[in-house]
Amino acid sequence: MDLVRDILDKQVIDREQVKIGKVDGLVAELRPGKPPRIVAIELGSIALARRLGARPGRWMAGLSARLGGKRHGEPHRIAWNKVRDIGIDIEFDIDVRETAIFDWQNWLRDHVVGRIPGAG
Amino acid sequence: MKKVLEISLGVVTSVGGFLEVGSLTTAVQAGAAFHFQLIWAIVLGTICIIFLVEMAGRFAAVSHHTIADGIRERFGFNAFLWPLLAVLLVNLLVMSAEIGGVAIALELATGIGFQWWALLVALLAWVFLWKGTFGFIEKGVSILGLVTLCFVVGAVMLKPGWGQVAAGAIPTVPNHDAANYWFMAVSILGASISPYLFMFYSSGAIEDRWDESYLGANRAIAAMGMSFGGTISVSVLIVAALVLSPHGIDQVDDYHQLPLILIPIFGFWGFVLFIASLGIACFGAVLEVGLQQAYLMAQGFGWTWGEDQKPRDNPGFSTVYTVALFLSALPIAAGLDPLKLTIFSMALTAASLPLSVIPFLFLMNDKRYVGKHRNGMVSNAAVIFVIALGFVLAIVAIPLQIFGGT
Repeated sequence: MDLVRDILDKQVIDREQVKIGKVDGLVAELRPGKPPRIVAIELGSIALARRLGARPGRWMAGLSARLGGKRHGEPHRIAWNKVRDIGIDIEFDIDVRETAIFDWQNWLRDHVVGRIPGAG
Repeated sequence: MKKVLEISLGVVTSVGGFLEVGSLTTAVQAGAAFHFQLIWAIVLGTICIIFLVEMAGRFAAVSHHTIADGIRERFGFNAFLWPLLAVLLVNLLVMSAEIGGVAIALELATGIGFQWWALLVALLAWVFLWKGTFGFIEKGVSILGLVTLCFVVGAVMLKPGWGQVAAGAIPTVPNHDAANYWFMAVSILGASISPYLFMFYSSGAIEDRWDESYLGANRAIAAMGMSFGGTISVSVLIVAALVLSPHGIDQVDDYHQLPLILIPIFGFWGFVLFIASLGIACFGAVLEVGLQQAYLMAQGFGWTWGEDQKPRDNPGFSTVYTVALFLSALPIAAGLDPLKLTIFSMALTAASLPLSVIPFLFLMNDKRYVGKHRNGMVSNAAVIFVIALGFVLAIVAIPLQIFGGT
């Protein structure tokens, strides 16, 4: 399997089949004397900005931390051992509601979208 | 039987998606200025969009990916960013032009200036997207769009010289205003080959859960639907050529001249039919482009998407079309001339084509996505032609806008 070709940028879904993002980054562990190993995937704007360069990455991390608090200063990570199925989408054995990935969508729903008549 | 119904609905949908303010005004202008001479541009544009739409449907049905998903996954985020930004920007301009089209229809009907209608039109479109389902939007608006068939009836009633019409289908060099001629040709091609159209089509195929059993239906819908739409555009051009030139109008630079074209044929009802056609066709396009903006963002970043879900369950998706509608209404509300914006945005559409069509060409040849249904020689040749066309247009569109634009 070619990681960049077959994993990076694929659609990520949780165990309820909710689309939660794309594989925006890969986290590898370097092990002395052995080949590196993928330990997690990263999602979200910070991971994406880092792919454009170190500086956009720092800016996005600063912006996210300011908007969403300290826990949004780092990209969202999902451990690789949670992977359940790799097909058209990659399914992880997590529930997006237990993560901070959709905090901004929840904020939008609670403060903006949900308050407009006819939203639900 | 179910497939037959599916095909007929698909054809109706394609008509709804094909004719909009861009094809209408470029066809009217081309007819007024160059008689039947630019029919070839509509024919060429229609053939190109048939190939692109057929490929978009085939890609979605076989790979279960939308085009946006495919481009990002295959080429990575950094490469995806450019087509994403280009299409978002072009869509925004096109959506402004479409809102302007509905606003002009309302101005013609009521006498109240178009800029006062822009935000109301955006609000109405927003209500449709907010409350409507995909089927409702796709089929409801498209069936209303059949009113545009009045142009075909009109063209036949005017008894054009069909030999001359056929001659117009062959490209020729103009005998006057060469810069304007080529700029019109560029705009017609841009109006026919819109990225939003084939990207929307691939999203729709995923929303309707197409699989490989739809490949035949897909081919029929693409060929028949787009030809049908092209026929209406050619009819608009014929009507404009036969009606405007005898009145000495060879340059349509004021949209108040537009509704004149059906009056000699249908009398007062021609005025009504024109306004209804313009209003409904453009409103349908506002809905489709608005949805496409939200599809593109959601698919590009991996959020949940789907017009059939409630906005509450889809906050990111519904926010994108809400913001997009509002932003697009602003230039028209500020009084920007919709006609100028239309022509400009069509030329820019054509120029931006290579950015989205080149990666799409690679996807259509990638076994891992489309397996044995990958492109053959003919489809590839057609797409390479569209790309080459786009490159030429990208280089010439802006200078032509300066020297030949209206």
